[in-house]
Amino acid sequence: MSESPPPTDAQVVIAVVRTGGIAGIRRQWRVEAESDDDAVEWIDLIDRCPWDQDTDAGPGADRFVWSIRARTPSEHRERELPDSALDGPWRALVEAVRAASTIRSSSDGRHPINPP
Amino acid sequence: MSSTASGERHGVVPSYLLARLAESGRFPKAAAAARQTLTAGRPPFRARIDLSIDENGDLVAQLSDAPNRTISDAGNTQQLPGAVVRGEDDAPVEDAAVNEAFDGLGATFEMLLAAFQRNSLDDAGAPLEATVHYGVDYDNAFWDGERMVFGDGDGEVFQGFTGSLTVIGHELAHGVVQHTANLDYHGQPGALNESIADVFGALTEQYSLDQTADQATWLIGAEIFTDAVEGAALRSMIAPGTAYDDDELGKDPQPDHMSGFVRTTEDNGGVHINSGIPNRAFALFAIDLGGRAWERAGTVWYRALTGGLSSTATFAEFADATLAAATAVDPATAAAARRAWTTVGVYEDERVPSTD
Repeated sequence: MSESPPPTDAQVVIAVVRTGGIAGIRRQWRVEAESDDDAVEWIDLIDRCPWDQDTDAGPGADRFVWSIRARTPSEHRERELPDSALDGPWRALVEAVRAASTIRSSSDGRHPINPP
Repeated sequence: MSSTASGERHGVVPSYLLARLAESGRFPKAAAAARQTLTAGRPPFRARIDLSIDENGDLVAQLSDAPNRTISDAGNTQQLPGAVVRGEDDAPVEDAAVNEAFDGLGATFEMLLAAFQRNSLDDAGAPLEATVHYGVDYDNAFWDGERMVFGDGDGEVFQGFTGSLTVIGHELAHGVVQHTANLDYHGQPGALNESIADVFGALTEQYSLDQTADQATWLIGAEIFTDAVEGAALRSMIAPGTAYDDDELGKDPQPDHMSGFVRTTEDNGGVHINSGIPNRAFALFAIDLGGRAWERAGTVWYRALTGGLSSTATFAEFADATLAAATAVDPATAAAARRAWTTVGVYEDERVPSTD
């Protein structure tokens, strides 16, 4: 995850960083497309998100703050979102990245957390 | 002795008892209090009646403020508020998270009332609302502007958030801040908002355990990491930066001095990071004064928060406000406040308080 070397030739790279929350602990997840078919699916998830739509953080405290970056052959997108706006296509994208990132970590023999 | 209502339980003080007390010639103070309550037409706030016998054998009735709690269950969705599962007059339910939230809200209410004579979040008896089981494996507890919300945790890093009284006190403190200085949730005022929430969280636990400042752990969220995490808590107020050091989570990033102030765009400008600086100032101040932290140190911080503090206050402005409040107590308290802010680098040595 955070220690992975930066890709040089991947078609699609998506990075998600979560900060804030009562713990204030930074977590990050990252995924690269591994094939053309894979890239098409990720680009579809990226394109469904309203990257240019305004969001309001709203009141309250200790909400997560999400930073989402996506690079495709044609564009480089970046967006910061309050937790309250992480819904619909945004949530689908983030959950897919987290799931893929966790699977890859596990298949690399690394676990998201030290085993008990 | 506390009152017990049999049969109907609509209020802590049943109407029939209030009516009887209001007519009482034998207990004039209780009668006056009861008439006041009845005249207000069963007001929306709760009251508690304590009955005791004084040294002359007379019955003494005292009305005091009481919490009005409602716990809802989001059923592992992210829809708020969820279904109501326990109200103020309800007995404990089977779900431990519900009861922990209920008890934690009550403990926070009691601390605010006993330490600061504050009646709930708005000092006007605001209902205390909470939702448990928010989201799936949701790794957070937060204040949404109206209620506190608990996730269940993912079970790998975090376990249930309702088990931590410091976390519950912290979240409700955000409600107090919202009703008082309403500190911006960004940069230094945001870190002050976070720090004051940690202070109230710690005071809630210390009040509940009747601990003195030197007995306290000064840890925030000591109950919510799983055993898999190398860490004692989310934060240490007395030793910021030492709460955890874990292969996956990294090391606690909190600075304990202004020289380590972190400038970042993440986390609303590092509100959960730089809060370590004022956190340590408070813990040092409380330990320096000795005794129970909510009595003197807590009162000074509370008066600084509620005494006209700007929503954009910097660390230095808040330090000045605490020094003014401490000066109103006595010179020794003022000197201790100055020492604390100097130790964490908000005041330079020998600095004269400024308003910059």
